[in-house]
Amino acid sequence: MYIIKNALKCIGRSKGRNILIGVIVFVIALSACLGLSIRQAAESAREETLKDLKITANISFDRNAMMSEIGAQREEGQKFDREQFSEKMGKMSGLTLEEYKKYATAETVKDFYYTVTTSLNGSDGFSSVTTETGENESTANNSAAPEMPAETRGNKGVGGFGRGGIGGGMQGDFSVIGYSGENAMTTFLEGTATINKGSVFSEGTENYDCIIPSELAEFNSLSVGDSVKITNPNKEDEAYTLKIVGIYTDSSANESGTGFMGMTASDPANQIYMSYNALSKIIAASEKNATTESNETTGRESSTKLNGQLNAAYVFSNVEDYEQFANDVIEMGLNENYTVSSSDIEAFENSLIPLNTLSRLAGYFLIVILLIGAIILIVLNIFNVRERKYEIGVLTAMGMKKFKVALQFLTEIFVITLAAVILGAGIGAVVSVPVTNALLENQVAAQSDRSERIEQGFGRGQKPDSAKTEMQSPPEDGSFNPFGAFMGTNNQNAYVTEISSAMNFTVLLQMLLIGILLTLIAGAVSMLFIMRYEPLKILANRD
Amino acid sequence: MAILKLDNICFSYGETEVLKDISFEFESGKMYCITGKSGAGKTTLLSVLSGLAKPTSGDILYDNKNIKKIDRYRFRSKYIGVIFQSYNLITKFTALENVVLSMEIAGVKGIKKKKKALELLQSVELDEKEANRRVLHLSGGQQQRVAIARALSYDPEIILADEPTGNLDGETQNEIMNIFKALAEKGKCVILVSHSPSIANCCDVNYELKKINA
Ligand SMILES: Nc1ncnc2c1ncn2[C@@H]1O[C@H](COP(=O)(O)OP(=O)(O)OP(=O)(O)O)[C@@H](O)[C@H]1O
Ligand SMILES: [Mg+2]
Repeated sequence: MYIIKNALKCIGRSKGRNILIGVIVFVIALSACLGLSIRQAAESAREETLKDLKITANISFDRNAMMSEIGAQREEGQKFDREQFSEKMGKMSGLTLEEYKKYATAETVKDFYYTVTTSLNGSDGFSSVTTETGENESTANNSAAPEMPAETRGNKGVGGFGRGGIGGGMQGDFSVIGYSGENAMTTFLEGTATINKGSVFSEGTENYDCIIPSELAEFNSLSVGDSVKITNPNKEDEAYTLKIVGIYTDSSANESGTGFMGMTASDPANQIYMSYNALSKIIAASEKNATTESNETTGRESSTKLNGQLNAAYVFSNVEDYEQFANDVIEMGLNENYTVSSSDIEAFENSLIPLNTLSRLAGYFLIVILLIGAIILIVLNIFNVRERKYEIGVLTAMGMKKFKVALQFLTEIFVITLAAVILGAGIGAVVSVPVTNALLENQVAAQSDRSERIEQGFGRGQKPDSAKTEMQSPPEDGSFNPFGAFMGTNNQNAYVTEISSAMNFTVLLQMLLIGILLTLIAGAVSMLFIMRYEPLKILANRD
Repeated sequence: MAILKLDNICFSYGETEVLKDISFEFESGKMYCITGKSGAGKTTLLSVLSGLAKPTSGDILYDNKNIKKIDRYRFRSKYIGVIFQSYNLITKFTALENVVLSMEIAGVKGIKKKKKALELLQSVELDEKEANRRVLHLSGGQQQRVAIARALSYDPEIILADEPTGNLDGETQNEIMNIFKALAEKGKCVILVSHSPSIANCCDVNYELKKINA
């Protein structure tokens, strides 16, 4: 008990020295606190985002892997084997619905849905929204439009894995998308799209009911209950009549404006939604009626059937499930040419890049600070003990055991360190959020700069504003996410730019541990010195 | 019966032999004076007696027990009160704090330490104002008296004093000597080191240390 009393008295009696030690420890503590807070913030941000992260994944053909495989075979100076590539790509077919469904039985899958997308033309005055003049419109509608170059058409039959996106054959005026269920209609679930007149077609219906965008309704003076006629762009006389049951608006579509040159169908205003069952009935009917014709110049055969691009999405409640699924599907027999990918994960990882970089820097900073801190404390303590040699001699001569003297010194260091650590943590708690955010801002700026440079390095330049509906552009990472187009998941530059809290119980505990650790290191050194001292010698020296 | 007995004590600082075959006996209730020329080894003997220094050979018996078998710290803090020639006070503490601290180290219980310490300091002519002054700001004589008060604070059986009156004027010197006398009368064993003949005369027994010449 008196040891503590003595320690406190001693602290009070040597204010100057102790304030100096305190200030040094305070600076160390504050820096350590900032470092720890930044690390904690990164960790919490990760956890928080992960917690609410609903992951939607696709199984897609790993074109990237195949390209590098072909690339690897190529010898020095030889050109990329395009022939082989298109041949291989041609052989690869998209997974069938049965296969998709099979993988959906994996335990981790929380939700599963799929869509089929095809391209159809309007007829009987039903025309697509376009800014082009009527002349161009008719060109787009013209079944005798010039053939696409063979390379672009190489994806024919691949069903959604090529650049063209929507099947082979002719590009129609409209994108017609058939949804497996309401859970597939993500834009409606997310609230960006809403029905403002009528209602959605009933789930799973085989009736040719559809909902159309309000722009399209306006453009064609259509209202709920009207019917429209659509035709196969490859075969004009193949017509189907759709009944409009609802008119919707998609707020995310407004940003994108019109489609790209000649890509009317990709304009969100020209997207007709219906039930999967209904649309697959149309596709099946078209296959039945299909005729095959041979192209005179290329010699390739092409069918007039409608090509449905099938997309399936698996929903997981967390990352572990998603990762488990990626393993499970291989066991369930998924070909190695396919990969499970999720743009949510990539977007998530990307969003954390600046914070993680900051966290890593903070980690290094922390190590340096603690090393320097430990060294400074050790040196200060050696000075302290040497300076107080006589006092130690007197105390031991008075019959105070050495370890008790050492304990008193330890208490002194501990009290000073604790006070400084508490002060450091307190001020750290106040400043850590703004400091972290300021540092993060720099980091985000640096990161954005870097990715922009990389983009430019790849010759991509600035991303268009309409990235969200940029269906025709090649995916930037090589893995094509067909859902990204209408799910609005293009989060490429959505970095975590702000943290709300950095200091928490963990950080406080860590600070305390650091304080104790520093005290123990410093204390051990003084202990060593005190144990070495012989009172007789010390006191004799003073005589 | 002797409370403290030295049996053929030898002590040397490395090569330098300072004490050789010292066999002294000290009894309770008596005052002893150890005399000798400067450098004869008086302070050294005191260090050996108080357990600060271990004799090179020979035994010290406290109450017929070899002090090798007693915890040296306990011996120093409880059974023996030492007034060092150089006082050895904690200079940043006040006189009062020094006295109280020594009681705490000795583990004195059941009394009001502060009150007892003030009484002790008063008995060596230090008033409350001086008692609450840091040792650093006390005169040499005052420091010496604090050292005496401290040595008496835990009521030890043996009191060792190295030149306890060296810095004191005649009058104070007498008062201090009276304190020592009173302690001896109360049954304590008082051992003084001094070259002052007047002090030697006050004592019951005189031991003389001879300087060893190589
Ligand atoms: N730590 C030490 N190392 C080596 N020699 C020492 C040490 N301390 C004392 N001595 C030597 O031992 C001898 C005895 O010293 P001591 O201090 O015991 O003398 P003293 O009789 O107390 O003298 P004084 O009357 O001047 O106080 C001296 O010759 C001194 O030089
Ligand atoms: Mg001496």
